[in-house]
Amino acid sequence: MLNVENLHVAYGGIRALKGVSLRVDEGEIVTIIGANGAGKSTLLNAISGFLKPSSGSVAFKGKPLSRRPDLIVRDGVCHVPEGRLVFANLSVEGNLAMGAYLRNDKKAIAADLERVYALFPRLAERAKQSAGTLSGGEQQMLAMGRALMTDGELVLMDEPSLGLAPLLVQTVFEIIGEIHKLGKTILLVEQNAFKALAVADRAYVLEQGRIVKQGRASDIAADPAVRDSYLGAESKAGG
Amino acid sequence: MAQFLQQMVNGLSIGSVYALMAVGYSLVYSIMNFSNFAHGGVIMFGAYFGFFAMTLLKLPFVASFALAFVGTAVLAVVIERVAYKPLRERSAPFLYFIISAMGASIFLENIIIATIGPTFRTYPDVFGRTSISLGSVSIGRLDLIMFVISAVCLTGLVLFIDKTKMGRAIQASAYNMKAAALMGVNTDRVVMIVFALGGMLAGIAGVFFGMKYTVYPQIGNITTKSFVAAVFGGLGSLPGAVLGSVLLGVIETLVAGYLSSQFRDLIAFVILIGVLVFRPTGIMGKTTEDKA
Repeated sequence: MLNVENLHVAYGGIRALKGVSLRVDEGEIVTIIGANGAGKSTLLNAISGFLKPSSGSVAFKGKPLSRRPDLIVRDGVCHVPEGRLVFANLSVEGNLAMGAYLRNDKKAIAADLERVYALFPRLAERAKQSAGTLSGGEQQMLAMGRALMTDGELVLMDEPSLGLAPLLVQTVFEIIGEIHKLGKTILLVEQNAFKALAVADRAYVLEQGRIVKQGRASDIAADPAVRDSYLGAESKAGG
Repeated sequence: MAQFLQQMVNGLSIGSVYALMAVGYSLVYSIMNFSNFAHGGVIMFGAYFGFFAMTLLKLPFVASFALAFVGTAVLAVVIERVAYKPLRERSAPFLYFIISAMGASIFLENIIIATIGPTFRTYPDVFGRTSISLGSVSIGRLDLIMFVISAVCLTGLVLFIDKTKMGRAIQASAYNMKAAALMGVNTDRVVMIVFALGGMLAGIAGVFFGMKYTVYPQIGNITTKSFVAAVFGGLGSLPGAVLGSVLLGVIETLVAGYLSSQFRDLIAFVILIGVLVFRPTGIMGKTTEDKA
Protein backbone atom coordinates (compact mmCIF):
# COMPACT_ATOMS: atom_id res chain seq x y z
CA MET A 1 0.00 0.00 0.00
CA LEU A 2 2.79 2.40 0.97
CA ASN A 3 6.21 2.17 -0.63
CA VAL A 4 9.02 4.39 0.52
CA GLU A 5 12.12 4.14 -1.66
CA ASN A 6 15.56 5.39 -0.71
CA LEU A 7 14.25 8.52 1.04
CA HIS A 8 16.78 11.23 1.95
CA VAL A 9 15.74 14.22 4.05
CA ALA A 10 18.03 17.00 5.24
CA TYR A 11 17.22 20.15 7.10
CA GLY A 12 19.36 22.79 8.72
CA GLY A 13 22.46 21.04 7.38
CA ILE A 14 21.59 17.82 9.20
CA ARG A 15 20.98 14.71 7.16
CA ALA A 16 18.08 13.30 9.13
CA LEU A 17 17.21 10.42 6.79
CA LYS A 18 19.90 8.71 4.75
CA GLY A 19 18.15 6.47 2.27
CA VAL A 20 15.21 4.91 4.05
CA SER A 21 13.19 2.26 2.22
CA LEU A 22 10.19 0.55 3.67
CA ARG A 23 6.80 -0.77 2.72
CA VAL A 24 3.46 -1.17 4.43
CA ASP A 25 1.00 -3.68 2.99
CA GLU A 26 -2.75 -3.25 3.16
CA GLY A 27 -4.18 -4.41 6.48
CA GLU A 28 -0.85 -4.47 8.32
CA ILE A 29 0.33 -2.77 11.45
CA VAL A 30 3.94 -1.82 10.85
CA THR A 31 6.02 -0.17 13.54
CA ILE A 32 9.20 1.84 13.34
CA ILE A 33 11.20 1.80 16.53
CA GLY A 34 14.33 3.70 17.34
CA ALA A 35 15.92 6.03 19.83
CA ASN A 36 15.17 9.72 20.20
CA GLY A 37 16.57 11.57 17.19
CA ALA A 38 16.83 8.48 15.00
CA GLY A 39 14.60 10.18 12.42
CA LYS A 40 11.25 8.54 13.17
CA SER A 41 9.17 11.72 13.23
CA THR A 42 11.14 13.10 10.28
CA LEU A 43 10.12 10.05 8.30
CA LEU A 44 6.41 10.53 9.05
CA ASN A 45 6.60 14.26 8.37
CA ALA A 46 8.28 13.56 5.03
CA ILE A 47 5.56 11.06 4.09
CA SER A 48 2.87 13.61 5.07
CA GLY A 49 4.43 16.34 2.96
CA PHE A 50 5.66 18.65 5.72
CA LEU A 51 9.30 18.04 4.86
CA LYS A 52 10.64 17.92 1.33
CA PRO A 53 12.86 14.92 0.65
CA SER A 54 16.10 15.75 -1.16
CA SER A 55 15.77 12.46 -3.02
CA GLY A 56 13.79 9.25 -3.01
CA SER A 57 10.13 8.55 -3.55
CA VAL A 58 6.93 7.74 -1.73
CA ALA A 59 4.23 5.74 -3.51
CA PHE A 60 0.75 5.04 -2.20
CA LYS A 61 -1.41 2.35 -3.79
CA GLY A 62 0.92 2.17 -6.77
CA LYS A 63 0.90 5.90 -7.53
CA PRO A 64 3.33 8.60 -6.39
CA LEU A 65 1.92 10.24 -3.26
CA SER A 66 1.03 13.95 -3.59
CA ARG A 67 3.57 16.46 -2.30
CA ARG A 68 1.29 18.81 -0.34
CA PRO A 69 -0.12 17.91 3.09
CA ASP A 70 -3.77 18.65 2.22
CA LEU A 71 -3.58 16.65 -1.03
CA ILE A 72 -1.97 13.75 0.82
CA VAL A 73 -5.00 13.65 3.14
CA ARG A 74 -7.17 13.57 0.03
CA ASP A 75 -5.11 10.63 -1.26
CA GLY A 76 -6.11 8.67 1.86
CA VAL A 77 -3.20 9.00 4.27
CA CYS A 78 -3.97 10.48 7.68
CA HIS A 79 -1.52 11.38 10.40
CA VAL A 80 -1.92 11.52 14.18
CA PRO A 81 0.87 13.95 15.00
CA GLU A 82 3.30 13.87 17.87
CA GLY A 83 1.99 16.10 20.65
CA ARG A 84 -1.60 15.48 19.41
CA LEU A 85 -2.15 19.08 18.20
CA VAL A 86 -5.88 19.08 18.92
CA PHE A 87 -7.64 22.38 18.25
CA ALA A 88 -7.90 23.66 21.81
CA ASN A 89 -10.02 26.59 20.62
CA LEU A 90 -12.70 24.25 19.22
CA SER A 91 -15.05 21.83 20.96
CA VAL A 92 -14.53 18.07 20.78
CA GLU A 93 -17.31 17.99 18.20
CA GLY A 94 -15.67 20.83 16.29
CA ASN A 95 -12.38 18.94 16.21
CA LEU A 96 -14.05 15.84 14.82
CA ALA A 97 -15.91 17.97 12.25
CA MET A 98 -12.54 19.37 11.12
CA GLY A 99 -11.43 15.77 10.50
CA ALA A 100 -14.22 15.48 7.95
CA TYR A 101 -13.18 18.77 6.32
CA LEU A 102 -12.66 17.29 2.85
CA ARG A 103 -15.73 15.06 2.90
CA ASN A 104 -19.20 15.94 1.70
CA ASP A 105 -21.23 12.76 2.15
CA LYS A 106 -23.21 13.67 5.28
CA LYS A 107 -24.46 10.12 5.89
CA ALA A 108 -21.00 8.60 5.76
CA ILE A 109 -19.66 11.35 8.04
CA ALA A 110 -22.44 10.72 10.57
CA ALA A 111 -21.73 6.99 10.46
CA ASP A 112 -18.02 7.60 11.07
CA LEU A 113 -18.83 9.93 13.93
CA GLU A 114 -20.89 7.14 15.50
CA ARG A 115 -17.94 4.77 15.13
CA VAL A 116 -15.56 7.25 16.70
CA TYR A 117 -17.91 7.83 19.64
CA ALA A 118 -18.34 4.05 20.03
CA LEU A 119 -14.58 3.66 20.08
CA PHE A 120 -14.06 6.57 22.48
CA PRO A 121 -17.12 6.92 24.76
CA ARG A 122 -15.22 9.63 26.68
CA LEU A 123 -15.34 11.86 23.61
CA ALA A 124 -19.10 11.40 23.29
CA GLU A 125 -19.53 12.47 26.92
CA ARG A 126 -17.46 15.57 26.28
CA ALA A 127 -18.67 16.42 22.78
CA LYS A 128 -19.55 20.03 23.64
CA GLN A 129 -16.53 20.65 25.83
CA SER A 130 -13.59 22.70 24.60
CA ALA A 131 -10.75 20.39 23.53
CA GLY A 132 -8.30 22.48 25.55
CA THR A 133 -9.91 21.28 28.79
CA LEU A 134 -9.35 17.57 28.05
CA SER A 135 -6.69 15.53 29.82
CA GLY A 136 -3.63 14.37 27.89
CA GLY A 137 -5.10 10.90 27.34
CA GLU A 138 -8.40 12.30 26.15
CA GLN A 139 -6.58 14.62 23.78
CA GLN A 140 -4.74 11.64 22.33
CA MET A 141 -8.08 9.90 21.78
CA LEU A 142 -9.42 13.03 20.14
CA ALA A 143 -6.38 13.25 17.85
CA MET A 144 -6.96 9.64 16.81
CA GLY A 145 -10.71 10.14 16.39
CA ARG A 146 -10.09 13.22 14.29
CA ALA A 147 -7.72 11.30 12.03
CA LEU A 148 -10.33 8.54 11.63
CA MET A 149 -12.84 11.19 10.55
CA THR A 150 -10.68 11.93 7.49
CA ASP A 151 -11.54 8.37 6.37
CA GLY A 152 -7.92 7.74 5.42
CA GLU A 153 -7.00 4.14 4.67
CA LEU A 154 -3.50 4.44 6.06
CA VAL A 155 -3.07 5.93 9.52
CA LEU A 156 0.34 7.28 10.49
CA MET A 157 0.76 7.51 14.27
CA ASP A 158 3.59 9.47 15.82
CA GLU A 159 4.38 8.50 19.41
CA PRO A 160 0.77 8.08 20.56
CA SER A 161 1.81 6.93 24.04
CA LEU A 162 4.24 9.79 24.69
CA GLY A 163 3.70 11.52 28.01
CA LEU A 164 0.79 9.35 29.13
CA ALA A 165 0.39 7.53 32.44
CA PRO A 166 1.15 3.75 32.23
CA LEU A 167 -2.50 2.77 32.49
CA LEU A 168 -3.40 5.08 29.61
CA VAL A 169 -0.48 3.77 27.56
CA GLN A 170 -2.08 0.34 27.76
CA THR A 171 -5.44 1.83 26.66
CA VAL A 172 -3.82 3.59 23.70
CA PHE A 173 -2.32 0.34 22.43
CA GLU A 174 -5.66 -1.43 22.83
CA ILE A 175 -7.24 1.36 20.78
CA ILE A 176 -4.61 0.92 18.08
CA GLY A 177 -5.78 -2.70 17.86
CA GLU A 178 -9.40 -1.54 17.63
CA ILE A 179 -8.58 0.95 14.86
CA HIS A 180 -6.86 -1.86 12.99
CA LYS A 181 -10.03 -3.96 13.30
CA LEU A 182 -11.94 -1.13 11.61
CA GLY A 183 -9.94 -2.05 8.52
CA LYS A 184 -7.25 0.62 8.74
CA THR A 185 -3.64 0.03 7.84
CA ILE A 186 -1.30 1.50 10.45
CA LEU A 187 2.25 2.80 10.42
CA LEU A 188 3.21 3.35 14.05
CA VAL A 189 6.24 5.22 15.29
CA GLU A 190 6.99 4.54 18.95
CA GLN A 191 9.63 4.87 21.58
CA ASN A 192 7.77 2.31 23.63
CA ALA A 193 9.30 -0.48 21.55
CA PHE A 194 8.05 -3.30 23.72
CA LYS A 195 4.38 -2.43 23.37
CA ALA A 196 4.73 -1.41 19.73
CA LEU A 197 6.30 -4.73 18.77
CA ALA A 198 3.56 -6.58 20.64
CA VAL A 199 0.81 -4.97 18.56
CA ALA A 200 2.60 -4.87 15.17
CA ASP A 201 2.89 -7.42 12.36
CA ARG A 202 6.23 -6.19 11.07
CA ALA A 203 8.84 -3.79 12.34
CA TYR A 204 11.74 -1.65 11.20
CA VAL A 205 14.53 -0.44 13.43
CA LEU A 206 15.73 3.06 12.59
CA GLU A 207 19.15 4.24 13.76
CA GLN A 208 20.68 7.57 12.83
CA GLY A 209 18.55 7.95 9.71
CA ARG A 210 19.04 4.43 8.42
CA ILE A 211 17.01 1.22 8.65
CA VAL A 212 19.32 -1.22 10.40
CA LYS A 213 16.92 -4.11 10.90
CA GLN A 214 13.58 -5.24 9.61
CA GLY A 215 11.38 -8.27 9.93
CA ARG A 216 8.41 -9.76 11.69
CA ALA A 217 7.66 -7.91 14.89
CA SER A 218 8.01 -11.07 16.97
CA ASP A 219 11.46 -11.80 15.46
CA ILE A 220 12.61 -8.23 16.07
CA ALA A 221 11.35 -8.44 19.64
CA ALA A 222 13.37 -11.62 20.10
CA ASP A 223 16.55 -10.18 18.57
CA PRO A 224 19.19 -9.93 21.32
CA ALA A 225 20.70 -6.68 19.97
CA VAL A 226 17.27 -5.07 19.85
CA ARG A 227 16.44 -6.31 23.34
CA ASP A 228 19.63 -4.72 24.63
CA SER A 229 19.17 -1.36 22.92
CA TYR A 230 15.45 -0.77 22.99
CA LEU A 231 13.67 -3.17 25.25
CA GLY A 232 16.09 -3.05 28.18
CA ALA A 233 14.42 -2.55 31.51
CA GLU A 234 10.93 -2.76 30.13
CA SER A 235 11.28 -6.24 28.66
CA LYS A 236 12.50 -7.45 32.02
CA ALA A 237 9.69 -5.73 33.85
CA GLY A 238 7.11 -6.90 31.36
CA GLY A 239 8.47 -10.46 31.23
CA MET B 1 -25.59 65.06 29.04
CA ALA B 2 -26.28 66.08 25.47
CA GLN B 3 -22.62 66.75 24.91
CA PHE B 4 -21.72 63.35 26.39
CA LEU B 5 -24.14 61.54 24.08
CA GLN B 6 -22.79 63.50 21.15
CA GLN B 7 -19.24 62.45 21.99
CA MET B 8 -20.33 58.83 22.40
CA VAL B 9 -21.90 58.85 18.95
CA ASN B 10 -18.79 60.35 17.38
CA GLY B 11 -16.64 57.88 19.26
CA LEU B 12 -18.68 54.90 18.04
CA SER B 13 -18.38 56.09 14.47
CA ILE B 14 -14.61 56.53 14.50
CA GLY B 15 -14.19 53.39 16.63
CA SER B 16 -16.03 51.30 14.06
CA VAL B 17 -13.54 52.35 11.38
CA TYR B 18 -10.64 51.55 13.73
CA ALA B 19 -12.29 48.16 14.07
CA LEU B 20 -12.15 47.59 10.30
CA MET B 21 -8.40 48.07 10.44
CA ALA B 22 -7.88 46.24 13.72
CA VAL B 23 -9.59 43.04 12.57
CA GLY B 24 -7.21 42.97 9.61
CA TYR B 25 -4.27 43.08 11.99
CA SER B 26 -5.86 40.50 14.23
CA LEU B 27 -6.73 38.08 11.43
CA VAL B 28 -3.17 38.04 10.13
CA TYR B 29 -1.78 37.83 13.64
CA SER B 30 -4.03 34.91 14.54
CA ILE B 31 -2.84 32.89 11.54
CA MET B 32 0.78 33.93 11.22
CA ASN B 33 1.69 35.25 14.68
CA PHE B 34 3.25 38.48 13.55
CA SER B 35 2.03 42.07 13.30
CA ASN B 36 1.60 43.00 9.69
CA PHE B 37 2.97 46.52 9.64
CA ALA B 38 2.32 46.78 5.91
CA HIS B 39 -1.38 47.04 6.73
CA GLY B 40 -1.10 50.85 6.94
CA GLY B 41 0.23 50.98 3.39
CA VAL B 42 -2.76 48.98 2.20
CA ILE B 43 -5.14 51.43 3.90
CA MET B 44 -3.35 54.33 2.26
CA PHE B 45 -3.69 52.68 -1.16
CA GLY B 46 -7.40 52.21 -0.46
CA ALA B 47 -7.74 55.94 0.16
CA TYR B 48 -5.94 56.73 -3.12
CA PHE B 49 -7.82 54.11 -5.13
CA GLY B 50 -11.14 55.59 -4.01
CA PHE B 51 -9.95 59.15 -4.56
CA PHE B 52 -8.70 58.61 -8.11
CA ALA B 53 -11.69 56.47 -9.04
CA MET B 54 -13.92 59.42 -8.18
CA THR B 55 -11.78 62.28 -9.50
CA LEU B 56 -9.92 60.82 -12.51
CA LEU B 57 -12.28 58.06 -13.61
CA LYS B 58 -15.34 60.10 -12.54
CA LEU B 59 -16.96 56.98 -11.15
CA PRO B 60 -19.92 57.28 -8.79
CA PHE B 61 -19.23 56.75 -5.09
CA VAL B 62 -20.45 53.13 -4.87
CA ALA B 63 -18.33 52.04 -7.85
CA SER B 64 -15.26 53.87 -6.50
CA PHE B 65 -15.78 52.30 -3.12
CA ALA B 66 -15.96 48.82 -4.67
CA LEU B 67 -12.91 49.48 -6.82
CA ALA B 68 -10.98 50.58 -3.74
CA PHE B 69 -11.68 47.50 -1.65
CA VAL B 70 -11.20 45.05 -4.52
CA GLY B 71 -7.92 46.82 -5.31
CA THR B 72 -6.65 46.62 -1.74
CA ALA B 73 -7.69 42.96 -1.42
CA VAL B 74 -5.54 42.20 -4.47
CA LEU B 75 -2.73 44.41 -3.16
CA ALA B 76 -2.70 42.66 0.24
CA VAL B 77 -2.52 39.24 -1.44
CA VAL B 78 0.33 40.42 -3.70
CA ILE B 79 2.24 41.73 -0.65
CA GLU B 80 1.79 38.35 1.03
CA ARG B 81 3.05 36.47 -2.03
CA VAL B 82 6.08 38.71 -2.48
CA ALA B 83 7.08 39.62 1.07
CA TYR B 84 5.88 36.76 3.29
CA LYS B 85 5.34 33.59 1.30
CA PRO B 86 9.05 33.00 0.60
CA LEU B 87 9.65 33.32 4.35
CA ARG B 88 6.78 30.97 5.18
CA GLU B 89 8.17 28.34 2.85
CA ARG B 90 11.49 28.45 4.65
CA SER B 91 9.82 28.53 8.10
CA ALA B 92 11.76 31.72 8.85
CA PRO B 93 11.74 33.23 12.38
CA PHE B 94 8.95 35.73 13.03
CA LEU B 95 11.37 38.62 13.29
CA TYR B 96 12.04 38.22 9.56
CA PHE B 97 8.34 38.62 8.85
CA ILE B 98 8.21 41.85 10.83
CA ILE B 99 11.25 43.23 9.03
CA SER B 100 9.77 42.25 5.68
CA ALA B 101 6.48 43.92 6.70
CA MET B 102 8.31 47.15 7.58
CA GLY B 103 10.11 47.02 4.24
CA ALA B 104 6.81 46.60 2.41
CA SER B 105 5.32 49.47 4.38
CA ILE B 106 8.19 51.84 3.53
CA PHE B 107 8.03 50.75 -0.10
CA LEU B 108 4.28 51.45 -0.37
CA GLU B 109 4.54 54.89 1.18
CA ASN B 110 7.50 55.95 -0.95
CA ILE B 111 6.16 54.66 -4.21
CA ILE B 112 3.22 57.02 -3.72
CA ILE B 113 5.48 59.96 -2.79
CA ALA B 114 7.68 59.28 -5.82
CA THR B 115 4.86 58.91 -8.34
CA ILE B 116 1.87 60.91 -7.15
CA GLY B 117 3.65 63.26 -4.79
CA PRO B 118 3.27 64.13 -1.13
CA THR B 119 0.41 66.65 -1.48
CA PHE B 120 -2.74 66.42 0.60
CA ARG B 121 -5.85 65.76 -1.48
CA THR B 122 -9.46 66.22 -0.54
CA TYR B 123 -12.23 63.84 -1.55
CA PRO B 124 -15.14 65.36 -3.43
CA ASP B 125 -18.05 66.02 -1.12
CA VAL B 126 -20.42 63.10 -1.56
CA PHE B 127 -22.73 63.12 1.40
CA GLY B 128 -22.95 66.85 2.08
CA ARG B 129 -22.08 68.55 5.32
CA THR B 130 -25.56 68.50 6.74
CA SER B 131 -26.22 66.30 9.69
CA ILE B 132 -29.15 64.32 10.95
CA SER B 133 -30.65 65.32 14.30
CA LEU B 134 -31.86 62.78 16.79
CA GLY B 135 -33.16 64.74 19.74
CA SER B 136 -30.23 66.64 21.16
CA VAL B 137 -27.68 64.59 19.22
CA SER B 138 -26.72 65.34 15.66
CA ILE B 139 -24.93 62.81 13.50
CA GLY B 140 -22.95 63.72 10.41
CA ARG B 141 -24.11 61.77 7.40
CA LEU B 142 -20.62 60.48 6.69
CA ASP B 143 -20.27 59.38 10.32
CA LEU B 144 -23.56 57.50 10.14
CA ILE B 145 -22.63 55.82 6.84
CA MET B 146 -19.19 54.91 8.21
CA PHE B 147 -20.78 53.31 11.24
CA VAL B 148 -23.43 51.40 9.32
CA ILE B 149 -21.09 50.06 6.63
CA SER B 150 -18.43 49.12 9.20
CA ALA B 151 -21.00 47.30 11.31
CA VAL B 152 -22.31 45.43 8.26
CA CYS B 153 -18.77 44.43 7.21
CA LEU B 154 -17.81 43.27 10.68
CA THR B 155 -21.02 41.25 11.04
CA GLY B 156 -20.38 39.71 7.64
CA LEU B 157 -16.86 38.79 8.68
CA VAL B 158 -18.04 37.15 11.90
CA LEU B 159 -20.68 35.15 10.00
CA PHE B 160 -18.10 34.10 7.42
CA ILE B 161 -15.72 32.87 10.11
CA ASP B 162 -18.39 31.16 12.20
CA LYS B 163 -20.64 29.63 9.58
CA THR B 164 -18.63 28.70 6.51
CA LYS B 165 -16.29 25.83 5.90
CA MET B 166 -13.49 28.21 4.95
CA GLY B 167 -14.19 30.08 8.19
CA ARG B 168 -13.72 26.91 10.19
CA ALA B 169 -10.50 26.26 8.28
CA ILE B 170 -9.33 29.75 9.30
CA GLN B 171 -10.13 29.07 12.95
CA ALA B 172 -8.33 25.75 12.81
CA SER B 173 -5.28 27.29 11.10
CA ALA B 174 -5.27 30.05 13.70
CA TYR B 175 -4.83 27.45 16.36
CA ASN B 176 -2.25 25.38 14.52
CA MET B 177 -1.33 25.45 10.83
CA LYS B 178 0.14 21.98 10.82
CA ALA B 179 -2.87 20.41 12.47
CA ALA B 180 -5.17 22.18 9.99
CA ALA B 181 -3.11 20.84 7.08
CA LEU B 182 -3.44 17.33 8.56
CA MET B 183 -7.22 17.70 8.22
CA GLY B 184 -6.83 18.45 4.52
CA VAL B 185 -6.96 22.24 4.78
CA ASN B 186 -4.98 24.01 2.07
CA THR B 187 -3.21 26.38 4.46
CA ASP B 188 -1.68 28.39 1.65
CA ARG B 189 -5.20 29.24 0.49
CA VAL B 190 -6.22 30.10 4.06
CA VAL B 191 -3.39 32.61 4.24
CA MET B 192 -4.44 34.09 0.91
CA ILE B 193 -8.07 34.46 1.98
CA VAL B 194 -7.07 36.04 5.29
CA PHE B 195 -4.95 38.63 3.49
CA ALA B 196 -7.71 39.27 0.95
CA LEU B 197 -10.26 39.82 3.74
CA GLY B 198 -7.92 42.03 5.75
CA GLY B 199 -7.03 43.98 2.60
CA MET B 200 -10.67 44.47 1.69
CA LEU B 201 -11.55 45.89 5.10
CA ALA B 202 -8.41 48.04 4.98
CA GLY B 203 -9.53 49.49 1.66
CA ILE B 204 -12.94 50.38 3.11
CA ALA B 205 -11.28 52.02 6.10
CA GLY B 206 -8.92 53.89 3.76
CA VAL B 207 -11.77 55.41 1.77
CA PHE B 208 -13.54 56.46 5.00
CA PHE B 209 -10.44 58.09 6.45
CA GLY B 210 -9.76 59.80 3.15
CA MET B 211 -13.28 61.21 3.18
CA LYS B 212 -13.29 62.17 6.84
CA TYR B 213 -9.85 63.78 6.79
CA THR B 214 -7.69 64.06 3.66
CA VAL B 215 -5.61 61.73 1.50
CA TYR B 216 -1.83 61.82 1.90
CA PRO B 217 1.00 59.28 1.77
CA GLN B 218 1.30 58.99 5.57
CA ILE B 219 -2.41 58.40 6.18
CA GLY B 220 -1.54 54.77 6.85
CA ASN B 221 0.08 55.87 10.12
CA ILE B 222 -3.41 55.93 11.53
CA THR B 223 -3.13 52.14 11.74
CA THR B 224 -0.93 52.64 14.78
CA LYS B 225 -4.21 53.41 16.53
CA SER B 226 -5.86 50.26 15.29
CA PHE B 227 -2.79 48.35 16.35
CA VAL B 228 -3.23 49.80 19.83
CA ALA B 229 -6.90 48.82 19.65
CA ALA B 230 -6.03 45.27 18.57
CA VAL B 231 -3.55 44.87 21.44
CA PHE B 232 -6.01 46.48 23.84
CA GLY B 233 -8.73 44.02 22.83
CA GLY B 234 -6.36 41.07 22.68
CA LEU B 235 -4.25 40.31 19.60
CA GLY B 236 -5.62 37.43 17.59
CA SER B 237 -9.17 37.81 18.90
CA LEU B 238 -11.66 39.35 16.48
CA PRO B 239 -14.31 40.30 19.07
CA GLY B 240 -11.42 41.71 21.11
CA ALA B 241 -10.24 43.82 18.17
CA VAL B 242 -13.72 45.23 17.65
CA LEU B 243 -14.28 45.92 21.34
CA GLY B 244 -10.83 47.48 21.73
CA SER B 245 -11.42 49.71 18.68
CA VAL B 246 -14.81 50.96 19.82
CA LEU B 247 -13.48 51.63 23.32
CA LEU B 248 -10.49 53.47 21.91
CA GLY B 249 -12.70 55.56 19.62
CA VAL B 250 -15.02 56.49 22.48
CA ILE B 251 -12.18 57.27 24.89
CA GLU B 252 -10.47 59.42 22.27
CA THR B 253 -13.52 61.52 21.50
CA LEU B 254 -14.33 61.91 25.18
CA VAL B 255 -10.78 63.09 25.86
CA ALA B 256 -10.91 65.44 22.90
CA GLY B 257 -14.30 66.74 23.97
CA TYR B 258 -13.71 67.23 27.68
CA LEU B 259 -9.96 67.79 27.94
CA SER B 260 -8.24 68.80 24.76
CA SER B 261 -7.77 67.20 21.37
CA GLN B 262 -4.04 67.45 21.94
CA PHE B 263 -4.32 64.78 24.62
CA ARG B 264 -6.13 62.41 22.29
CA ASP B 265 -3.16 60.47 20.93
CA LEU B 266 -1.36 60.65 24.23
CA ILE B 267 -4.22 58.71 25.79
CA ALA B 268 -4.08 56.05 23.06
CA PHE B 269 -0.48 55.23 23.87
CA VAL B 270 -0.92 55.45 27.61
CA ILE B 271 -3.60 52.80 27.17
CA LEU B 272 -1.23 50.65 25.10
CA ILE B 273 1.51 50.82 27.72
CA GLY B 274 -0.98 50.22 30.52
CA VAL B 275 -2.37 47.13 28.81
CA LEU B 276 1.09 45.77 28.11
CA VAL B 277 2.07 46.21 31.75
CA PHE B 278 -1.07 45.00 33.49
CA ARG B 279 -2.77 42.64 31.08
CA PRO B 280 -0.46 41.68 28.20
CA THR B 281 -3.08 39.39 26.60
CA GLY B 282 -5.57 42.25 26.30
CA ILE B 283 -9.24 42.12 27.18
CA MET B 284 -10.05 38.98 25.21
CA GLY B 285 -6.64 37.68 24.15
CA LYS B 286 -5.78 34.03 23.71
CA THR B 287 -4.66 32.45 26.96
CA THR B 288 -5.25 28.77 26.22
CA GLU B 289 -2.26 26.57 26.74
CA ASP B 290 -1.34 23.28 25.21
CA LYS B 291 -1.51 20.33 27.50
CA ALA B 292 1.51 18.11 27.41
